[in-house]
Amino acid sequence: MDNRKYNIYFHTHTVSGILICVVLFVMFFAGSFAFFREELAAWQNNAPAAATHAAAPANYNRLLDSLGRHHQLRGRNFEFFLPQSGTATYVTMSASNDSIVKRQAAAQAKAKAKLKGPGGDGEKRKRGRGRGRRGGEDGVAFSYDFARQQAVDYEQSYSIGEFLYRLHFLAPLNVVPIFLGGPFGYTLAGLVSFLFLFALITGLLLHWDKMVSNFFTFRPWSKWKTVWTDLHTALGVIQFPFQLLFAITGIVLILNSVLLAPIAKFAYKGDADKLRSELYAGDTTTYAYTYTPLATAFDLSGFMQQANRRWPNSRLTQVFIRNYQDANMHVVVLATPQAATSFAGSGKLVYRVRDQRVLEEQVPTVHSSYVDKVRAVVYHLHFGDFGGRALRVMYFVLGLLGCVVMVSGILIWLVARDKPATPARERKFNFWTANVFLAICLSMLPVTAITMLALLFLKHPTQADIYHWYFYPWLALGVYFVARKDLAVTNKQTLWLSVVLCLLVPVLNGVVRGNWFWRTYAAGQFDILLVDLLFLTLALASGLGLLKMSRRAQAAQLVGGADAQRAGAAPRAEHYQPV
Amino acid sequence: MPANPKYLTKSPWLRLVKILVGFGGGYAVMLSLHLLLMRVFPPQNVAATAFITGYVLWALLLLWAFVARSVWRVGAAYLALTLLFSLPHFLA
Repeated sequence: MDNRKYNIYFHTHTVSGILICVVLFVMFFAGSFAFFREELAAWQNNAPAAATHAAAPANYNRLLDSLGRHHQLRGRNFEFFLPQSGTATYVTMSASNDSIVKRQAAAQAKAKAKLKGPGGDGEKRKRGRGRGRRGGEDGVAFSYDFARQQAVDYEQSYSIGEFLYRLHFLAPLNVVPIFLGGPFGYTLAGLVSFLFLFALITGLLLHWDKMVSNFFTFRPWSKWKTVWTDLHTALGVIQFPFQLLFAITGIVLILNSVLLAPIAKFAYKGDADKLRSELYAGDTTTYAYTYTPLATAFDLSGFMQQANRRWPNSRLTQVFIRNYQDANMHVVVLATPQAATSFAGSGKLVYRVRDQRVLEEQVPTVHSSYVDKVRAVVYHLHFGDFGGRALRVMYFVLGLLGCVVMVSGILIWLVARDKPATPARERKFNFWTANVFLAICLSMLPVTAITMLALLFLKHPTQADIYHWYFYPWLALGVYFVARKDLAVTNKQTLWLSVVLCLLVPVLNGVVRGNWFWRTYAAGQFDILLVDLLFLTLALASGLGLLKMSRRAQAAQLVGGADAQRAGAAPRAEHYQPV
Repeated sequence: MPANPKYLTKSPWLRLVKILVGFGGGYAVMLSLHLLLMRVFPPQNVAATAFITGYVLWALLLLWAFVARSVWRVGAAYLALTLLFSLPHFLA
């Protein structure tokens, strides 16, 4: 490779890397924990997911009944979104297709709104998650918990797992009132993912010539800069495929409109819904409303049980009801195969209620189009949901190793510029950048442990509680470490805090709730056990880091001369760099 | 050591041009190429493929604006390619 290209790769890699490193660290760190979203929720609620599942036969009829108490249901469209786990479903109900019902309902809704005044019920609902209310005046959208047979208040049922999951695509930053074609947090996350992809490509090209030799190079007893460089290169190369998949799937999942909006405009004549339904599972068919009542009664719970039995090794994802209680009422069921049976696929069933006929059937474990395959690759690889817990543990480890690559990158960046030739002003700026970056990144693990500990003592933690217990300690620790102005102190103290706080997570879970390792193991509560073991391992790993550091410091003191000798043997260019 | 500044762009304006040409021009080439492919292959399949090829191609084209010796020539090439790929769109 010629020198010019090498230096350009080097520089573009450095600049794109240093621009995104902090945000990317937060995304990787929180994202790694998000693999255990369900486990973390089970840990927080002290309720293993398995027990919750068994206790909740999904009673759809009851859900419709309770909706019917407040609304006239005739002629409406319903959509149920069924999550991969848990006992909740997300429900939307449109305004009625029956113009008489629609007018009545609109009038009622208007009267109600007048009674409550502005800023009442309607205002609150708008803050739901994502999918807005479709179909206008008196449509509703909410989460319903089959276990408790009532609507779920999102903010009340918030968990640390949900928090870390949403933090990893920067959802909390959406409050920033800058709209760049999407909410601020999501747009930033997408942009960071794209720069991450760019940094990965330049990094790979940069190390291309020495890839094989670098792979086998690790000199942990050398100077710090060498250690960090080796760490960055070796881990970076090992992790390259893993990180590349997250860079690409990350953009696809968070900011795909960059690609899809113009494609819809130019290739689909502006019909974004059509493109969406072709790329993602969905159904946009409209069925004519006949204004003739349905002659027979319809048992949705029974229908759902049958649908579940119809396709073994699959999971229902969405259920749409069209024209409820009309003679032309249809039910559309969408499903996806379990990854163990079939990696990619999509199932669809269209059912006409009037004559109980299946109009269309696509078996999820059999049918798999090209789009299904691409989508399966993107989703399964990103969420790591195709190989059980062991795979997610591996993903977690690889994710945290990615964090190590980012931190070592910051340190190389600093140390490489910390020499007499660099102007004092620049060195000061470089130091402060690294100081702030490390304070933010390294305090994340202790802060996560602090929030976990707080959750043991909070009665009914809400979204606001978790925000407070996460962001305030983070701010406090961050400011403290920035003020200390010493990277070694930041490193050492965050490690100490991590050892103590992470160790306290399983210990206090035992003391406060009696969830000792052996008890949760004996009771088969593996999700709670996993979280405890996770934090125990993190405490041990931090302790190991501390031990290595102090050994190193001792060795350096004892044989101070030897180190200087080795430095003397090193090439001239590195000679005057401070250790 | 940091990259040797001998090989890097010194003028901040030229650097801005490289970023804009790479980011905007690269995007235009990437998009127009995939739109062209949609005329040959089933559009939904091309769109799905673009989930992966689109972003990687875009990032590579962004890099090319920095690697090439003349960013102006890259800009001209991106413009020409975009127009070429869009020809069927204009003709239709």
